Order: sequence, then C-alpha cells, then structure tokens
Amino acid sequence: MGEERNLLENLSMELRRGTLVLSVLSQMKEKKYGYSLVQSLEEKGVAIDPNTLYPLLRRLEKQGLLESMWETGGSKPRKYYRRTAYGDEIYQKLRTQWEELAAGMEKLLEEERG
Amino acid sequence: MNSREKELMERYIYQVVRHLPREQRQEVSMELQELIGDMRETEPSMEAVLTKLGDPREFARKYQDGSRCLIGPEYFDTYIWLLKIVLVCTAVTVLIASAVQGFREGSVMNAAGGVGNLFSSCIGAFGMVTLLFALMERGKIQLDKKQETQWRVQDLGDNFAGGKKFWTPDYLSPIPHKKALISRGDCIVSIVFTVIFGILLIFAPSFFDGVFKNGEEFFPLQILNLAQWDQILPLFVLSLAIGLADDIFRLIAGYYNKAVMASSIVCGSLQLILTFLALKVFPFWNPDFGERLKELLGDQMSPAASLFLEKWDGDLVSDALLVFFALVTAAEIGTAVYKTLRYGVQAEVPGSHR
Repeated sequence: MGEERNLLENLSMELRRGTLVLSVLSQMKEKKYGYSLVQSLEEKGVAIDPNTLYPLLRRLEKQGLLESMWETGGSKPRKYYRRTAYGDEIYQKLRTQWEELAAGMEKLLEEERG
Repeated sequence: MNSREKELMERYIYQVVRHLPREQRQEVSMELQELIGDMRETEPSMEAVLTKLGDPREFARKYQDGSRCLIGPEYFDTYIWLLKIVLVCTAVTVLIASAVQGFREGSVMNAAGGVGNLFSSCIGAFGMVTLLFALMERGKIQLDKKQETQWRVQDLGDNFAGGKKFWTPDYLSPIPHKKALISRGDCIVSIVFTVIFGILLIFAPSFFDGVFKNGEEFFPLQILNLAQWDQILPLFVLSLAIGLADDIFRLIAGYYNKAVMASSIVCGSLQLILTFLALKVFPFWNPDFGERLKELLGDQMSPAASLFLEKWDGDLVSDALLVFFALVTAAEIGTAVYKTLRYGVQAEVPGSHR
C-alpha cells in the first residue's frame, strides 16, 4: 500500500512540475515578493512549496523572464520580482500552448468517460 | 522574533547557503531571511516555519543547477571501468615488485614498506585517472559552448530562434568508417603497459639493473644512473602521464578524427622532447657501469664481453633508444594522421546544403 501511495505521489508531483513555470509567470505582471506569491498561489488552490518557489524565481530571473529589485524602505528589505518584456512574450506563448494542451487533454479524458 | 528564534533561523540559513557557490550566498541568505520572517508572522513558532521549509540540504539542492560535476554521466562508465583496470594493475605490479625486491635482498618482504607503496601508488593512480577524466570533462563542456555560440548564416533560415539552434538531421555526424575505429583492446594494452612501466620506474628502478655472474655468485649492477634518479624520474613520469592522457582520449573518442590526430601530434611531440631531455641532458646511465663490470668479472671475461665493454658508450645507447622512440612516435602519429585524413574526416550527407 505504502508503495502505491509513493508512486501516486511521485506521478502527481511530476504532473504538477510541468505547470510550475506557467503558474508563477501568470502571477508576475505586477511586482510581488516571494512570500506574497506563495500565499496568493495557495489561495487559488495551486500551492507551491517555498523551497521550490524561491529557487525557481532565481532561475527564471537568470533566464531573463523575470527581473528583481530589492526594496529597503519598509520594516525589512524585500526582494520583488516582475515579468520582463521577454517574460511577457514567453508567457503569452506558453499560455496558448497550455490552452491547447488542456483542450486536448479534456477531449482524451472525455472520450474515455464514454 | 526572539533571540533564540533568530539563532535557529541563522543556523537554518547557514545550512542552506553553505552548499551554494560563494557568490550566491549573500543574496540567498537575504532572500531566506525575508521568507522566514514573513512565514513567522503566520506560523505559531520558528520550529513550525523551519519544519515547513524542510531539510536544508534539499533546499540547497534545489538552488543548484545540477550541472556541477567533476565527471559527467557521459564519461562516468568509462571512468569507473578504466579506474578498476588501472588500480588492479597498479596494485599487482607494486606487490610483485615489493616481493621480488624483498627476495633479492635476501630478507622477508618488507611488509610495511610494501603496504605503504601500495597505498601511495593506488592513490596516485586514482588521482591521475580522475584528473585526466576531469580535464576531458571540462574540455568537452567548453567545446559544447563554443559550438553553441558559433553563428552561421543558416541560422537566419527556418532554424532561427533567438540565437538558439534547433537540432536538424544535418547535425548527424556520419557513422565512423570501420577503418577509423580505434580498438579498445589496443588502448587498454597500452594503458596497462604504461602503468606497469611507470610503477616500476617509481618504486623499483633497481628492476632495470643488470645481473652478472661471477663464478657461482650473481651480482646486480646498476645500469641506470640511480644517483640522479630524483631528477630524471619526474621527466619520465610526466612523459608517461602525457601518453596516458592520449590513450584515454583515444579510448573515449573511439575513432580517429581531427581531435585525436591533434592529441597524437601534441602528446607524441611532448613525450619525445621529455625523453630527449631525460636521455641526453641528464647523465642517464650509471657512469661507473663499465668500470664496475670490469671489476666484477675480473679475469674471467670472455672475448665477447671485453669487446662489449670496449664499445660500451652510454651516449650511443641513448641515441639508439631515442631514434627507436622517435620512430615509434612517428609511426603512431603517422597512423593517426593517415587514418584521420583517409577515413576519419566528417563526410557530408549526400545532397545536404551545409
């Protein structure tokens, strides 16, 4: 039984992993700091662990999809992220692909349901 | 946040960033301070926050790219396979050499010395093989990068995608010609001989002594100039290491191509220069060899032996060895050049427009 649960967990993690980048990019039109992103994703039912999200943000910045800035005005320094123009472009394309994929998946699963 | 919680947070952050590259540590620890501070506001305790974040090693692993390794998966199997061969043949050679030396000296094998030699030589062999593979790994990575940035007009065609290239069937390199293949067996034989020769030169140079018979007794007599061995030996070891590098490179390449040809030419030339230095610049032969042999054999010298002694001239032997070595090297380089130019050059796919 334990093995089956493990397998299911792995498969479901793999399934979600592919959507991580798109979920994050979708939220980054306006600048956000890390933890506010964690919370807003959680509220919308797409929870991402902080220990996955923070490294991902750095990677997306390195790839030029996001830009970051430190704001030191508040009670503590905060790092804000926002989509770059290049990020906008990639996001739109990914979004189109997602919609096609979701429609296709829907068809597949519908067929099976009979 | 009280001081105990602050301490816990700092410990956690330290455990994450200590696994990261130096230049990222400062920034990542600031990010984590912000994150943990924010989470603490919604969680009941620091323990709850850190438990939620999970194992710091796991966290650090996600921050790393995963591309940082000494020897990548592409070479790893060959590396382990070759490492086994080299270690076994190092260990066997050292053990036999120690045993024979002990026997010669008429004593029981010097166990401590033997084990010490075994350790240091195995560690040395391990280091040498690892270093050579690591260098090749780095070389390959740089080669890949270079290929990525090479821009061609074709990139403007259908394949143009923001500077990045798509793979097309045009990139398929041809299957190497059968005659361009490099035999794995040949490489291994060469590597094994190099290792054995190297170990003997390092640990048991007295193996190269001559043994002469005077009446019923045997006398060992140094032919090599062991008095200056500590200056001559490094040249030989370096030369053997270069040969080893060339062999491993061939083994990995698998067939003759321009890179193998270049490696043959460069390594062969370097080995030739080092051998020249060892044989001609240093007094390579035992300068007292002739005299000592005369003393040992005394009056019972045969006419052939006395003729040999009269003609004995270290310089001449050096020249002969050097000529022999030069011919072998030239043959090796010649083979590599011929096979590369004849069979190993990348042929065009018929009808392609590259």
